[in-house]
Amino acid sequence: MSAAPRPPLDRAALGRVLTRIANAGDPAAWSGPVAPPARGARRIGLTGPPGTGKSTLVRALAAGSLAQGRRVGVIAVDPSSPYTLGAILGDRIRMGEVADHPELFFRSLASRSAHDGLADNLPGMLSAMERHDFDELLVETVGTGQADVGVRALVDCVVLVLMPESGDQIQAMKAGILEIADVLVVNKADLPGAARIAAEVKDTLRLRRSRAWEWVPPVLLASRDDADSCFALARAIDARFAWRGDADDETARRRAGTAYHAKSLLHQRIETLLGELPPETFDLPLREVHRALVTRLSADPDAVD
Amino acid sequence: MTATAGTPVLRGRRILVAKPGLDGHDVGAKVIALALRDAGAEVIYTGLRKSPEQIARVAVEEGVDAVGLSVLSGSHRELAADTIDGLRRAGAGHVRVFVGGTIPAEDFEYLRGLGVRGIYTSAMPLEEVVASVAQALAERSP
Repeated sequence: MSAAPRPPLDRAALGRVLTRIANAGDPAAWSGPVAPPARGARRIGLTGPPGTGKSTLVRALAAGSLAQGRRVGVIAVDPSSPYTLGAILGDRIRMGEVADHPELFFRSLASRSAHDGLADNLPGMLSAMERHDFDELLVETVGTGQADVGVRALVDCVVLVLMPESGDQIQAMKAGILEIADVLVVNKADLPGAARIAAEVKDTLRLRRSRAWEWVPPVLLASRDDADSCFALARAIDARFAWRGDADDETARRRAGTAYHAKSLLHQRIETLLGELPPETFDLPLREVHRALVTRLSADPDAVD
Repeated sequence: MTATAGTPVLRGRRILVAKPGLDGHDVGAKVIALALRDAGAEVIYTGLRKSPEQIARVAVEEGVDAVGLSVLSGSHRELAADTIDGLRRAGAGHVRVFVGGTIPAEDFEYLRGLGVRGIYTSAMPLEEVVASVAQALAERSP
């Protein structure tokens, strides 16, 4: 419950600032908002393979938090075409009537050049949203599955969403996305095989966890039509935040976020520079390509102003 | 559908495809959405039966450059006027508005008078629609 009065959500201003940050290229993106020392909002990421119902769970979580008087921001990422950069951003439709709530702000993003399930300049956009008094920020990743690990650096609680038919993917996830999750949900649990998948995931996690002080990710079953299962998910997320209160280091979290931000901006910059190199450069030995890249990268500060 | 050669004409643009009013036919809206995407745009679709106020809110939250209204119910005059008004009141008067659907030619002048930047009927080839939207967006940068 947040009973304290706060300024009304300035949708137009936030919408504009997000557009500016999203479109900032190098070097403007480097001078974006600095991550605040302590997070003003709970950040929750939802990731997992396509079709597992991430959007539906985002709606359920947002609806629950809004009902408790929280101000909720949602950022949902969909993939950009690698050829045209065009994208259909379809996650908003799944929000249904929740999208009309006065304390909700929903932004759809295209991944653009990002390949880790997130979108270009997302760290700056999350920082900008925190200036608008959100209690909770929900980030829904692209959903390519195994590669969607970028979200770990930017949120406090990662929810991995699976479904009964994800069976074959669990094997592939053992060394990847399964390791970054704080809460696991087998969604669409009304389909056959849900309990088996949940047991398999629990086994995998049990093998991995050996240190007593580590958070043990709960494995839940959920289904859109079962309101209790959505409450249980919200409670599991609350438990993760309560646990994190004593055990996690705000400084380490902020540093990880800034490091991720720098890495993603450099990645964008290098993609641009590679595109600008004369094609003949790529006939040269790899170390010459490296030299050409580094020369251009370090020339940047002077070219800027 | 393949993209045109060179840089796609709508790269970097964000466009909201919206279905205001009560008609439940969105095949046209979806076809247009895909054509805009293939031209490089990031396209958001509202889903059916949205009010002009809802459309204006989405346009503001999503930071779009343009809103395309798909109207097959015959209420395009009122819906276009209310949407343009709603955008202004929401602080998004700069967003360009396009209208598509079953629009009789005698209404074109009225719609243009409201500030609608392009009017597209089902007879118009998709490439022409895309080129017209791209041109209208390039005319006066916000």
